[in-house]
Amino acid sequence: MSNHESVIQKDDGESRLNPLTKLFSLVIILTGIIIYPSWKLSLILLIVLLFLFKISQILIKLSRRRTKFIILFSVILLLFQVLITVNGTILGFIIPRINTIGPYFPITDYGLERGLSISLRFLLIIFSSMLFVAVTDPTLLAHSLTKLRIPYRYTFALVIALRFLPLFESENQIVRQAQRSRGIQPEVRGFKKILRTIQYMFFPLLVSSLSRVETLSLSMDGRGFGYHKTRKYLRKSSWKILDTVTLLVVIIFIILCVFLANGIFPQLSTLI
Amino acid sequence: MLETQDLTFSYDGTTQILKSLYLQVRRGELLLITGPTGSGKSTLAKCLTGFIPRSIEGCFSGSVHIDGRNTEHLSTPEFSKMISLVQQDPDSQICTLIVSDEVAFGPENYEFEEKIIENLVKSSLSDVNSLHLSQRKTHTLSGGEKQRVAIAAILACQSDFIILDEPSSSLDPQGIIYLRNILSKLKEKNVGIICIEHNLSAIRPIADRVLSLDNGILSDVPEKQSQDLIIPYKIQGSINQKPLLTLERTSFSYGSTPIINDVDFRITPNEIIALMGANGSGKTTLISVLGGLLTPNQGSVFLGEISISKLQLKDITRQLSIVFQNPTYQIFESTVWKEQILTSEILEINDEEHKELSQNLLEIAGLINLRERNPFSLSHGQKRRLNLTSTTVHSPHILLLDEPFIGQDPDGRQFILNTIFETAKNGGAVVIVTHDVDFARKYCNRIVFLENGVILLDGNPESVLQKLPEIGHDEYSKIGTVV
Repeated sequence: MSNHESVIQKDDGESRLNPLTKLFSLVIILTGIIIYPSWKLSLILLIVLLFLFKISQILIKLSRRRTKFIILFSVILLLFQVLITVNGTILGFIIPRINTIGPYFPITDYGLERGLSISLRFLLIIFSSMLFVAVTDPTLLAHSLTKLRIPYRYTFALVIALRFLPLFESENQIVRQAQRSRGIQPEVRGFKKILRTIQYMFFPLLVSSLSRVETLSLSMDGRGFGYHKTRKYLRKSSWKILDTVTLLVVIIFIILCVFLANGIFPQLSTLI
Repeated sequence: MLETQDLTFSYDGTTQILKSLYLQVRRGELLLITGPTGSGKSTLAKCLTGFIPRSIEGCFSGSVHIDGRNTEHLSTPEFSKMISLVQQDPDSQICTLIVSDEVAFGPENYEFEEKIIENLVKSSLSDVNSLHLSQRKTHTLSGGEKQRVAIAAILACQSDFIILDEPSSSLDPQGIIYLRNILSKLKEKNVGIICIEHNLSAIRPIADRVLSLDNGILSDVPEKQSQDLIIPYKIQGSINQKPLLTLERTSFSYGSTPIINDVDFRITPNEIIALMGANGSGKTTLISVLGGLLTPNQGSVFLGEISISKLQLKDITRQLSIVFQNPTYQIFESTVWKEQILTSEILEINDEEHKELSQNLLEIAGLINLRERNPFSLSHGQKRRLNLTSTTVHSPHILLLDEPFIGQDPDGRQFILNTIFETAKNGGAVVIVTHDVDFARKYCNRIVFLENGVILLDGNPESVLQKLPEIGHDEYSKIGTVV
């Protein structure tokens, strides 16, 4: 390696948007769909989101347990809403009439819309947050937040949280293996056994985390963290025209959501 | 020069960890400090780097001087500009996500000029032969790589003195050779180094002085100190016996990354097997597959003649015990005694006989006086011994030990060796993951050498160790005891 540029990638390089733009866009769009909870709008945004996953070359692995759980949970949310919402036009029944028995559990258009709205919003919140974490460099985000005059001690908390996420995930797996190695099986019959199961899971995790916290704080203090009121950043985020345009688009989006929620564009609200 | 004058410290005000220490280290000198588990080596490191009494409370007296200046009035960051500490666990001291950010972290905090920070990142990574890692994500690094990055991050702070706490503890022989080269370069750069180590032979060849810390007092260590352990029993070799544990054409991968490839492996009674190989060669994964903790993607594991996947968890625990590399994960109870009898309770053998046995085991392991202590508060070596006593109270046939000698003083090592030999003598078998060539040669009757998840060599220690240089692993003949 002959030059510094190949050793240190000094700005956000391939990533086109400033981390702050990504953060604001995430917060504004999610606020928008909470203000105007249309299932059609959520579906459009979800399709856009999947497209963003594709162009960012981030894979959503359907084989992973976590992804399966998220999708399964959204389906449960949908079914639950369909089951408990009986208002609206009946489209059919979950258990149709068989001879003299039934029909039971009507499916109404309102129940279906409500269910879709909730489950799609759930998927949108989870997947958009996953995309944000995957495409945002925490150090650059910390730098951007420092530019907003947030003290670096707070912005670094975010960097550290993201640094330790993969570690805690792997520790969780190790503790489960350690339980198996001792012949410990999770037991849920009886309050005492539930408490014991929780203790056997969280004791090692908690102690390991606390010892890491001590090591980490010594390591950071030992390298001058807090030496000055400010600190330098070798890698910096930059604000580009694309950031301004993106921010304008999401601001227009939230204004539109507020208008739609207040019935200001009735014709548009019938479409989305 | 770094020196201490009448340095005394106690955490609780009653038990003195350090007793009136006078210590001097010159720039360009490498001082090696050894001593038994819990003797206060890490505490001394924290006193010398100013964390005690600034960040860690206790009864501290005496002083630390740098170039004749008393450091009493300095803040921790000011102190660390002069003396830095590389702690035992490199994973927990890395605070950023990219290697270059990690190395730049100190200089950024000290607000060095941008150009200087760039140069420091480059030169520090270069000093530890890790320039190629600069853009790597920190959580994807191997243990040895993390160790090198942690050292580079300290080098970038440009301290005059560096203290390293057990830097060789989880390194393979190649990693130790790298470490020796790094420390030699630092000496040439006139950096004063204090290296705290259980494993004397890893660093001794490049050390200028060796001291031992015991009972809070520093003393000289003789030039040739024997680290030999006593062989407690004579083990007869096994011929044509039925295997206790068998792996048949087993493969395992994490996601799309293969770790174990098509391994055939039989463990028979009376065997003491050293499972060796470089960091990342798949040793820990192989132990987990052998113990039924990981299900292979291909092939089968048989405990006796029964597939391990068909056995109940308790039946596996009854016959086989695993001791992990990090002892904290395998501790679940709130007192040493409760932890000791946990396996007996799970296996429903918590009778008087087993309680008495537990009591004896704690006594032999030197833990009986700590029976009411919280096991998480024990030292690393004590925790490891507790792991062993609590998982062997029911005399399992098979022991799978992942680097059991890390952080152990000679007494601890002897205790572990006795447990290994007792299991083998009683018709059981033991697999020990180790980098220690001397241990494998003297105390094991078989070595299995793993590379990239494949068994490269398998046989008696002499023949395997003879063949290792022939297949390009001469680092094992360059390194002595590496526990």
